[in-house]
Amino acid sequence: MIRLLLRRLGQGVLVVFVLETITFFLVRMLPGNPFLGERKLPEHIMQQLQSLYGLEESAWVQYWNYWKNILLHGDFGPSLIREGVPVSEMIAQAFPVSFLLGVLGMAIAMAVGIPAGMLSAYYRNRWPDALLMCVAMAGICIPAFVVAPLFGMTLGMHVPGLSVAGWDDALCVVLPALTLGLINAAYLARLTRGGMAEVLSQDFVRTAKAKGCRPLRVLFVHALRSGLLPAVSYLGPAFAALITGSFVVETCFQVPGMGLHFVNATTDRDYFLIQGLVLCYGVLIVLANLCVDLALLVLNPRLRSQGSA
Amino acid sequence: MMMKSSHPAARPYARGRSLWDDARDRLCRNRAAMVSLLFLLLMVVACFLLPLCPCIPNPNETDLGNIAASCSWEHPFGTDQLGRDLLARVLYGGRISLLVGVVATGVALVIGLLYGLVSGYVGGRTDALMMRTVDVLFALPFIVLVIVFSLSIEEPSRRLTEWVVQTTGWTRETVAPILGLVPLFIAIGALGWLTLARIVRTQTMEIKSQEYVLAARSLGLGHVRILLRHIAPNLLGTVVVYTTLAVPGIILTESTLSFIGLGVKAPNSSWGTLIKEGADRMEVTPELLIFPSVFFCLTLLALNFLGDGLRDALDPRSSKD
Repeated sequence: MIRLLLRRLGQGVLVVFVLETITFFLVRMLPGNPFLGERKLPEHIMQQLQSLYGLEESAWVQYWNYWKNILLHGDFGPSLIREGVPVSEMIAQAFPVSFLLGVLGMAIAMAVGIPAGMLSAYYRNRWPDALLMCVAMAGICIPAFVVAPLFGMTLGMHVPGLSVAGWDDALCVVLPALTLGLINAAYLARLTRGGMAEVLSQDFVRTAKAKGCRPLRVLFVHALRSGLLPAVSYLGPAFAALITGSFVVETCFQVPGMGLHFVNATTDRDYFLIQGLVLCYGVLIVLANLCVDLALLVLNPRLRSQGSA
Repeated sequence: MMMKSSHPAARPYARGRSLWDDARDRLCRNRAAMVSLLFLLLMVVACFLLPLCPCIPNPNETDLGNIAASCSWEHPFGTDQLGRDLLARVLYGGRISLLVGVVATGVALVIGLLYGLVSGYVGGRTDALMMRTVDVLFALPFIVLVIVFSLSIEEPSRRLTEWVVQTTGWTRETVAPILGLVPLFIAIGALGWLTLARIVRTQTMEIKSQEYVLAARSLGLGHVRILLRHIAPNLLGTVVVYTTLAVPGIILTESTLSFIGLGVKAPNSSWGTLIKEGADRMEVTPELLIFPSVFFCLTLLALNFLGDGLRDALDPRSSKD
């Protein structure tokens, strides 16, 4: 099992490396450069700026220097738009914000989605199931950029204390977290229902019922463990995506998190910031997938024998 | 193979029931899928044919007497802050959204199908390499890549527009709105094929091990012929299902991009752009948010229900229950 995890970790490092390489060359293919602002800069100043950040070198030299700075000095480069601010500092400011939102959103998603999915599987093909799955389908089809303004319009305007945008006090968290949570809850509910429904139709569940087990005990003790497998595999990447910030929700509610940086850095051609953000995202995705693998090993003993073999 | 009655005189020809006939019947019995299909057909007619009728005004024409008006006979959905008719804008926006959905899915379908077929059929080390590539691409932040990619092919597509204008002699005004969408088609399609490639590969591997493929091989058929004549047709059901289910996701991606301001550019507008405009002015005129959102969500809902219905009909084993 240790060997399996080590191999996964090795693959993960490779994935992050390839990801960073692709990003590095793609952003340099973008038309325009970071110094094209409202005011056109004179040619010689442009050249000085380029050489200050080492951008006049060939792409391969830049690429080499980039990794060298990270690995030897832990330096992710400076932001090109906000002069003098290192990328690591910008990420260090934005990450806690997105992390908090992501954790809260995920907590809401799990608290709503998993029970809804279980309930639906328990009443399979009866009206509570149909009702819940219709709601879940609607939740999938109504995108965040519709939910967010609607929440702002209904809750944000009428509930005192809630704010529609910004990040100044504790209650600002509520609406973005709720939006993130409910959208993911819909996916989770469908996955949980699918997984549970499959388990509930298996022989061992029938045996448990036949020997007189109470239905709730069957649901929670016998079926839950393997019924949650699909939901767990979804949770990992979804969690990584959530804590690295959702573009739409952060744009809608003007939350200064990673998602907002992602969009702005791309439109501003802030090369180092994009690379830093993608690196951060890649590492988190790999870690999240590793956690999913671990969780699946705990939940599903059959995988354990496969992994060691 | 052929089913023939033993008494040709009594019943000259009994038509066999193919698996497709069964699937069609199953689909027709699925009420949600049929309602969705009807709705989608109506939506296509509304978005592509209705604007040709003179009763729908030009979506970019401003009615200065009715700025930010609410619903009336003249403007059924009201007008926006520039006095443009919202119904016309929603219909034209639907055109772009549906077009992007179908064309980008087509791009994704071609790439995913070929990639999955080759990977699954060749197998071995090639397969491992190809699938690791897919794994890496899966780990990429999708939206970031779409943004970067669509921006980086904007310049070539501008050159394409110039070339088309010069060679065909059409005016730039007619060509530019359509060709302006090309970067978006390619970017979304070029990154949306991953799931399909995985599914096609698994199916190909399953079919490859069947006896009739071995028989074809032993008759001396070439690999390309086997792939195209014997394996690809058997993938059709699965591919149809997952293509249908991919369309809503791709429409959603396009609208998300347009919402952030990186997708469809003016003078074009998609449902995403309209929802963005509506969200900006929702305190004053909530209609601007509500009407495009309703159209958008219902279309996605219908596509999903249709996809689920197709899956239940064509691929009963993998259906939910």
